[in-house]
Amino acid sequence: MASPVVEILTKGIGELNLRDIDVYRSTGGYVQLERAVKELGQKAVADECTGSNLRGRGGAGFPTGRKWSFLPNNGRPRYIVCNCDEAEPGTFKDHMLLEQTPHQIIEGILIAAYAIGCHHAFIYIRGEFQDGFEIMRDAARQAREAGIIGKGIFGSDYDLEFTIHRGAGAYICGEETGLLNSLEGKRGEPRLKPPFPAIKGLYGEPTVVNNVETLAYLPHILKHGAAWFASVGPERSPGYKVVSISGHVKKPGNYEVPLGITIRQLIDECAGGLRDGRTFLGVQPGGGSSACLFEEHLDLSYDFDTIAKAGSMLGSGAMVVFDDTTDFVKASFALIRFYAHESCGQCTPCREGGSWIEKTLARIIDGRGVPSDIDVMKSACHQITGLNLCALGDSIEPFLGSVLDRFEGQFRAYIERATPVPERVAV
Amino acid sequence: MSVAHTEAGVADWDPNVFREGVYFDELYLKLRAECEELIGMYEDSRSALIPMAHLFQEHEGFTSPNALAAIAHLLNLPLAVVESTISFYTLFYRKPVGKYMLQVCRNLSCIINGAEEIMAHFREQLGVGHLETTADGLFSYEEVECLAACDRAPCMQINLRFRYDLTPAMVDDMLAAMRGGTFPVKPLAQTQAPGRTWKVEQDTGRKSAGGVGVSDPNNAGGVGDRSGVIMLDRVVNDPAFAARSRERLVRESQLRPSSGDGGHH
Repeated sequence: MASPVVEILTKGIGELNLRDIDVYRSTGGYVQLERAVKELGQKAVADECTGSNLRGRGGAGFPTGRKWSFLPNNGRPRYIVCNCDEAEPGTFKDHMLLEQTPHQIIEGILIAAYAIGCHHAFIYIRGEFQDGFEIMRDAARQAREAGIIGKGIFGSDYDLEFTIHRGAGAYICGEETGLLNSLEGKRGEPRLKPPFPAIKGLYGEPTVVNNVETLAYLPHILKHGAAWFASVGPERSPGYKVVSISGHVKKPGNYEVPLGITIRQLIDECAGGLRDGRTFLGVQPGGGSSACLFEEHLDLSYDFDTIAKAGSMLGSGAMVVFDDTTDFVKASFALIRFYAHESCGQCTPCREGGSWIEKTLARIIDGRGVPSDIDVMKSACHQITGLNLCALGDSIEPFLGSVLDRFEGQFRAYIERATPVPERVAV
Repeated sequence: MSVAHTEAGVADWDPNVFREGVYFDELYLKLRAECEELIGMYEDSRSALIPMAHLFQEHEGFTSPNALAAIAHLLNLPLAVVESTISFYTLFYRKPVGKYMLQVCRNLSCIINGAEEIMAHFREQLGVGHLETTADGLFSYEEVECLAACDRAPCMQINLRFRYDLTPAMVDDMLAAMRGGTFPVKPLAQTQAPGRTWKVEQDTGRKSAGGVGVSDPNNAGGVGDRSGVIMLDRVVNDPAFAARSRERLVRESQLRPSSGDGGHH
């Protein structure tokens, strides 16, 4: 069976020291940026991106070219921020790209910056990525010395500043307006939208926020042409994607594949299948925020629209695979505790709802559950989604809801084993 | 070293008074140029707030009240504004911590791959729990959220340097190396002796981001519970639940039910 794995962003990783600018350039690095600035011009670069139908690889899957097109032509300064605040449970692709191919990320950011006519680009790196931060800082220094960052890049009249900004531990800063607040030195609380960042973003100016992987594809799209990318996979969800596969598989890791292969192929042909003697129970297809999919979904096409139609989402492209050893009560608890911990606290349904379910699950695991807890959790789930400023609140429920439906027996078993305590009424 | 720190958030540092031999005053002089460089990187000086806090923490081992005051001074912001930002982020330690910050991932891929065993082992070996520091001031221990290294679970960071594919034997070896001074990761600066925890009192340590989570299913039975925000919503939105709650409330408080459907609509 031919492996579906391709090498575009991941080419050379593990073989070459791509952190060294000379090595990166020897693989054709920075050629497309130079070509963009010297030959193609701003509009042609933006058109290539739009034509490729590249959709955001950070989670929301919004078409990148369209995101750029919302920037108003108001003569104001505009900004681009590369979102490297990767913290979605199960996702570890940006971590790899940051540490292994920092120049590819810089080239992508700079191409995008040029395409939208911006003169100050940022990368926001999650605070925990100390190694990645240092690697990026070193790469940026090399690029600056080579005349790729700063005044008149590649001898053109295009000036571009590039600032590396490190966060300090908060998942919510991956949400684009939370990220912008954090970059402005504030609490990383998401903003009310509209206005969207394209209209009023960093420092109140038009701003584009794009994921690391999204931007890293840009040099390749310029090199091979928009049609090359657009022709791969489903028409509305084309191109390649780095999928992070973890959980109960033989070979967890990042696998770059064309969208549109099946979930089964990802598990079996990329990640080596389940561990010996185990059977498949479920897979989370798109990070901690996505609903679990099951046996009947294994032959679905892995793309944004198909996975959404199945009631889940492609999200950040992080698959966590569960075999028959999985305790879904504890798995749900790990995720719910995460969302309760990371809620910024602005919106009551998210802040109280996540925390409420967390405490209920803790009680069940602790052997103090009562039968009505199942209904309480189902009810609480329905009162969180769609009621918050940002998508964090909407991310609390999908996994729990899906496994509670499918594996309610596991939750009931905990409760039946429990020593029942009388339900307390506080008045 | 000799600066007397007051309660978290209130500093005794004064930008106009330099006290010779006082650790923080000397640190401030040393870092001021670097802070100004950070400020120069942004269109708006406030963007340098978090980078400056990282810088001070790197030297002091924690984000001290004096550091907050210095940042407030350099950015010309009220101290409360600096405090409000810093208190949002889990990587700013508000009180002194151990020389090795051990942060073990407790999220999904690690949990289903043996993280519980690793966490239990750490707790047992260190004799402390989540968000606590050992009495000798060597180790601080925290169970953290997804570190984006799920393919090599269970994973952790020690002073923000990754360690992957953990086993209890590896944990033992690493702890021994840290105790023996041979561990290859640089210890954190430690300018003051740490206490039992580095969380400030108002912060239960459960929220990275300022959320409170006041309602509690262990202490709520329905409409009678004054803290039950969710419960209140449920009574409004879920007729079946409302009926059950009402029955129980009636039973408990011996009130008579109101007519119709509860008067909540």
